[in-house]
Amino acid sequence: MSTGTQQRAATSTNWIDQNGGIYVVGIGMHAYQFPTETPYTQLGLTAVRAALVDAGLRWDQVQSAYVGTAAIGMATGRVMLRHLGSTGLAVTQVENASASGSFAFRQACMEIATGMSDVVLAVGVDKHGDGRRAANKNGLESLSDTANLPPVKFAMMARTYLRERGASVAEMAAVAVKNHGNAALNPFAQFRKPRTLDQVLASPRVVGDLTVQQCTPRGEGAAAVLLVSGHALKRLGLDAKRCVRVHASVAGSDREETGYGDAATELVRSSAQAACEQAGIAPTELDLLELHDAFSIEELLYTEAIGICEPGEGARYLARGDSQIGGRCAVNASGGLIGMGHPLGPTGIGQIAEITRQLRGEASGRQHPNARWAMAHMIGLGSVSIAHVLSTAH
Amino acid sequence: MIDQLTSLKPLHPTLYQLASDGTSLDFIFSQCPVCGTVNFPANVPGCSHCGDPLTEAPRLTRPGQGELLEFVTIHVPLIPDMQAPTIAGDIRIADGIVEEGVIGVKDESGLRTGMTLKAIAEVREAQGVYACVFVPMNEEVAT
Repeated sequence: MSTGTQQRAATSTNWIDQNGGIYVVGIGMHAYQFPTETPYTQLGLTAVRAALVDAGLRWDQVQSAYVGTAAIGMATGRVMLRHLGSTGLAVTQVENASASGSFAFRQACMEIATGMSDVVLAVGVDKHGDGRRAANKNGLESLSDTANLPPVKFAMMARTYLRERGASVAEMAAVAVKNHGNAALNPFAQFRKPRTLDQVLASPRVVGDLTVQQCTPRGEGAAAVLLVSGHALKRLGLDAKRCVRVHASVAGSDREETGYGDAATELVRSSAQAACEQAGIAPTELDLLELHDAFSIEELLYTEAIGICEPGEGARYLARGDSQIGGRCAVNASGGLIGMGHPLGPTGIGQIAEITRQLRGEASGRQHPNARWAMAHMIGLGSVSIAHVLSTAH
Repeated sequence: MIDQLTSLKPLHPTLYQLASDGTSLDFIFSQCPVCGTVNFPANVPGCSHCGDPLTEAPRLTRPGQGELLEFVTIHVPLIPDMQAPTIAGDIRIADGIVEEGVIGVKDESGLRTGMTLKAIAEVREAQGVYACVFVPMNEEVAT
């Protein structure tokens, strides 16, 4: 079968290895949190400064910056970054809904791979916004006022999944138990309390079988990563042992449905498969997987679609502990969108930061042992998808 | 009620109109002149299959009905001025066209996937319009 995504992967197998390869050398976070009066500049600068310190780089060494944000407004980056010094670097804003940060990271990768720059910042920052969406401005009417609202869409996907797979609501809610548990160990997470299955199930119902503790919270925060080329890595004398290499970057958007409700899972499947092909690994080789679990059902659907478990096995994979930290593949070791939070712009870059921390062996208290290969996967309203595969550099 | 409905306007005039029985709704589609694909709403600026701009596309009017594919109860208001609980469903209203609609039943007990729903007019007197609500095909519902 020849899909567009596969064609892109096949014709671009080596672009990610150009310019000596692409390495994440610094990470920084501002914890995700419920909405506050803190200016976004303060959130973002906290993350960027931490990334610079982590990498051992100066601000004037950064040649270009990509800023992922969905809700702040025009010219977010320059307004924030000038407080680090007006060095004249290129600044580009990237918006792609939930995947804004992930696409900012991909743009940074591409800029390094072309040789245009050797040291690039990808930063995601967001405040909780008014939720204005382009889909509400397209001039088309809908039969229902709730058409295309993610909670409704995923609650229906959950119903179908549970019925077809013979899984229970409790098995789905167990995703939230795991991810709240992981988040409780993550100092940058919005939620820091472990939740029992009874608590998750007893929390207020939102839509269908999804309770509030199975849904991502609203919030704000920031995440930053610094990327360098392989050539710059040597030239700047950075610590190669703390670097993480980017082996794949694949993006796509959904196609016409072939069956009811399969567009999202097919989108996830095709992008993840293409990313694994570009990295030269099988999905079952992944040790870490950060994915878009805005609603608990998504983790069951996507672990199957990405291929770390067999179709129909998602709930059992979770129940066996295979997706726990210390299991076969730690899924959302950060706490995921349910536990760590989902401030939009930072989310995808926060995934990269978590993976980097894990691959370095620095995820104190929630370290997945012997992690070597990882995938960061995001989807965004619309729908768009993006997958990155990273590994230890040494 | 029929007299009342005929004096009202549709809330979404690009999507539906009152059927000849005075209570049901007809949906308005367009048909792509290039590939024949039926599109909904009729005023989409491009065919969902081939991308034709549909500037010459004929309008088709069909009885508003379809197969219920999935349904859930929305327990809390997700948007301003929304009543909860409300039941929403995905309904296949034509080949390749699945739309989310409000289902006008008290609870989920009478619903099952695969059943046929029909679109009827729901009066919104304060706004002077009628809206679209789906009900089981054979159910007599007066709104």
